[in-house]
Parts: sequence; C-alpha cells; structure tokens
Amino acid sequence: MSQSFDLLIEGMIEAIRSRILPQLSDDFVRGQAYGIIYALSGLKLSADWAIAPLRRQIELQDKAFADVARLGAGLGHPKLPDGPRLRPDAPASADLERLRNEGDRKLGEVLKWTSGPGAAADPEAAKAIQAMLRRSMRDQLKVDISIMAKPMFHELATGEESESA
Amino acid sequence: MAIDDLTMRDRLTEYLSTEAGDAVQIEAFERRSPGFSWITYSFTARDRSDRRRKLILRVGPTNGLFAPYSVLPQVYALQSLENSRVPVPRLVSYSQEGAKIGFPFFICEHVRGDVAAPWLGSGATEEHRRRIVVQFLDILAELHTIDWEHLPLRELLTKVPFGERAERAPLTAWRALVSRPLNRYYPLLDWAGQWLHDNCPMPPRTTIVHGDYRVGNFLEENGNITTILDWELTHIGDPHEDLGWALVPTFNGGSRKLYGVMERNEVIDRYQKRSGITLSPRNLAYYEAFAFYQMAAIQICGIHAFEVSRFNDMRMAAMSTQMASIVRALDKAIEAVA
Repeated sequence: MSQSFDLLIEGMIEAIRSRILPQLSDDFVRGQAYGIIYALSGLKLSADWAIAPLRRQIELQDKAFADVARLGAGLGHPKLPDGPRLRPDAPASADLERLRNEGDRKLGEVLKWTSGPGAAADPEAAKAIQAMLRRSMRDQLKVDISIMAKPMFHELATGEESESA
Repeated sequence: MAIDDLTMRDRLTEYLSTEAGDAVQIEAFERRSPGFSWITYSFTARDRSDRRRKLILRVGPTNGLFAPYSVLPQVYALQSLENSRVPVPRLVSYSQEGAKIGFPFFICEHVRGDVAAPWLGSGATEEHRRRIVVQFLDILAELHTIDWEHLPLRELLTKVPFGERAERAPLTAWRALVSRPLNRYYPLLDWAGQWLHDNCPMPPRTTIVHGDYRVGNFLEENGNITTILDWELTHIGDPHEDLGWALVPTFNGGSRKLYGVMERNEVIDRYQKRSGITLSPRNLAYYEAFAFYQMAAIQICGIHAFEVSRFNDMRMAAMSTQMASIVRALDKAIEAVA
C-alpha cells in the first residue's frame, strides 16, 4: 500500500464526516454512518498493515543490496546498508514500512547511478546491476499487487455501480 | 475554496446577465459528473424574449487534482477547431481570471450524445464499437494533419520552457509533479522519468496532440461521434502520443484491441492511410511507455491531494492502490522500447 495506515483511516473518517453526513437526512442512515466512523476509530487503535508482505518486500530489497555488492564490487556505487536489515524479533508494521520506504529510496539511488556517469567505469557491470534491480523491483511490486483489491474505475468516476460488480 | 452548486448558479446568472446587458435566467442547472478535475455543469440560459440555449459550463476548482488550472488550452482548442472536421462544441465565453464565477471557466454549446464507458468495454455490440472506432481514428488523423501554425493553439508553444523540446514538455511537467515527496517512493517510476527524458524520440512532424484521446472522451449518438471532449491536456507534440494513450488497455476494457474490437495493426494501417503520417514502431512503443508514466503521475497527484493536501476525497486514496500495477506495466513497456 502507498498510504500510511493511520492517514488512510483518518481520511475515511473525515470523508464520512465532511462529504457524506451533510448529504444524509434520514436518521437511521446517519446512525449507520456514525457506526462506520466508530468502527474505523477502533480499527485505527487496534489494526495495522499486514506484516508478512512488508517483510517479504524488505527481504527482496536486502537480496538486491547483496547482489549489488557482488556485481558492483570495486565500483563507486552509492553506499549500501550493512547486511540484512530484518531483525529476527517482530517489529511493528510502522517500523517495517519505514524500513521498506528507506530501502526503496536507497535502491532508487543505485538504479539512477547505473544510468549516470558514475557507472561509466564498467558499463557491463552497471547494465547487469540495472537489470537485476529492475527485476527485483518488479517482484516487490508483485507483492503489492497480490494484496490489491479489484479496481473500481467506473464506480469512482461515475458514482454508479458497474454491471460487473 | 470548495465549489457550492447553488452559489455557482447564482454567479453564473450574474455573469451571463452582465455579458448580455440584460436579465438572463438559468434553468435546469445540473452538475454533470463527479469529475476528478474540471467540474462540468449543464444548464439552459433563457433571455427576456424567452429564447433558450442549452449550454455547458466547465470550472477549474482551486483544490482539483491538477490545480492551479489554466482554461487556455481548452479555449485555444475550441477556437482553433471550430471550422475543422474535428467535432468540438462551439465556445461561447471564457475567463482565465474567473470573472464573477471565482475560478477559471469556459462556457460552450451543449452537444447531444452519451459518453462511452471505457473501463467496462461497454455493453455496446461489436459492430457498434467498430463503427465508432473507425470514426475515432479518422478524427484523430484529421486532428494530426491540421496546419496549426496560424491557429490560436500555436500560443501553447509560448508556455514551453526555454530550451525544452515541445514534444517533451508534458513529460517535464509530469516529472515535476511526480518528484514531490510522499510517504512511499517508487524507485522504478523515478528512474523511468529520467529514462523517458533521455530517450524521447524526434517526432515525424509536430502536430496538435489532444493529450487525453481515448474511449470515454467523446460523445456518441446513434453510432456517430458528435464531439471530442476534454482538451485540457492539449499541446503541440508528437502524434504518436495520442495513439499510445488510446491503446492503453485500461481505456479499452482491459483489451489490447482498440475499444476491444480493432487489432493494433489495423489501427496503425487505418491511421496511416487517413493521415498520411508514417508511424514509427519505436516512437509508438515509447509513447505507450509514456502513457503508463502519465497514468502513474495522475495517481501520484491523487496520493498527494490525499496525503499532503489532506483533501479528504476517498477516490484519491482509492486511486493510489493501483500504483504497483501501473509502475510494473511501465517498466515492461520501457523494456519493449529498448
């Protein structure tokens, strides 16, 4: 997911308060909306992103860092993290999310380095690193896709239920 | 500042009355779509002699997905194409400063027809869709062969930053929006922006580019396209860009065929015959990759609106969940160019 869990829940609550409730006049329906707000507030306190996909993404990143170190030995690529970043204990998903996002930024630096003047010393090695990183990043995106709901483009754009729903 | 429909109606009444120098009544004022960007209203203007005119008002809100808005690309397009074979609604009035209305806006004539649903492949028969898609391509060929250098659309070139190539200017603008810091960073997207910049091909000729030419951005009635809509991204550039965008499966019910009925080779043949422009496989592949970059950039704007601007529109948050599949498709498309 792209969004911070808390931000997403806060956004949902605010959207119901400011965009939906003012349009509702039926008391029963308004009660339903407040019920959803209450349930979301509870989720915000008790739930979070699933840990397994985040761990899988960080594992993929750590493997990519190790491969960069191997393929780019002796080259002046951007500094890499020292060793695997995943600890055997169970950090909170917010920590994992931060670790995953930092890993993406670092991998982004290395990927851009493979196309820049810094990689000119060994273009073949840079090309191999670039291909490996792109594969790894695509695998990481596959993890996101595996937890993605079916798109609702039609409903979002028109406000109408689609025939395929 | 949010747009309130009743206030908008009052302001429109005042604006049209001032313009006409006499009282104008507004009837059947209705918001037409819950759009992500420009807000569209339909209405009937009635003057003192009881003459009625069905019109469309489009307003660029300050908190929209791509704000701040300029009305000028749409205005130049409607002015430039008025007497061409590209069907567009006739422009009635506009103001970039937002005279009386409070936001950039334009008013044009109402055109009959319905919008096709690009995401569902439409319930229309195959025969119907084929008939539409042939017109869709022929109109695009017309658009790309218009001599634009003496038309109002040429003014858009003055907005291209100094030293930038016209056909690359949209990419530069999207990259600026993508580079804004967000919670989640997509390294492949960042790298792809640089790759697209470095590998942008020379166009076979510079033409008018619609910029959002796809199923869903025209009106049709009884099997005929009555008007081409949504000119906000129009610019001068490479004609391959419109074809690359139109072929994105998302706009064709998930199919690689145009509108789910026309094979890619047939699209290319038809377009080339009608336009006289020889398409380059490499340019087309490049602009198919660019199409995914543009889609990703639009999602990023949604994420930014939700996450940073705290614009609590849940559609923005929902859009962002598609980022992974778009970025993955973008990387594959780049692989196909290289």
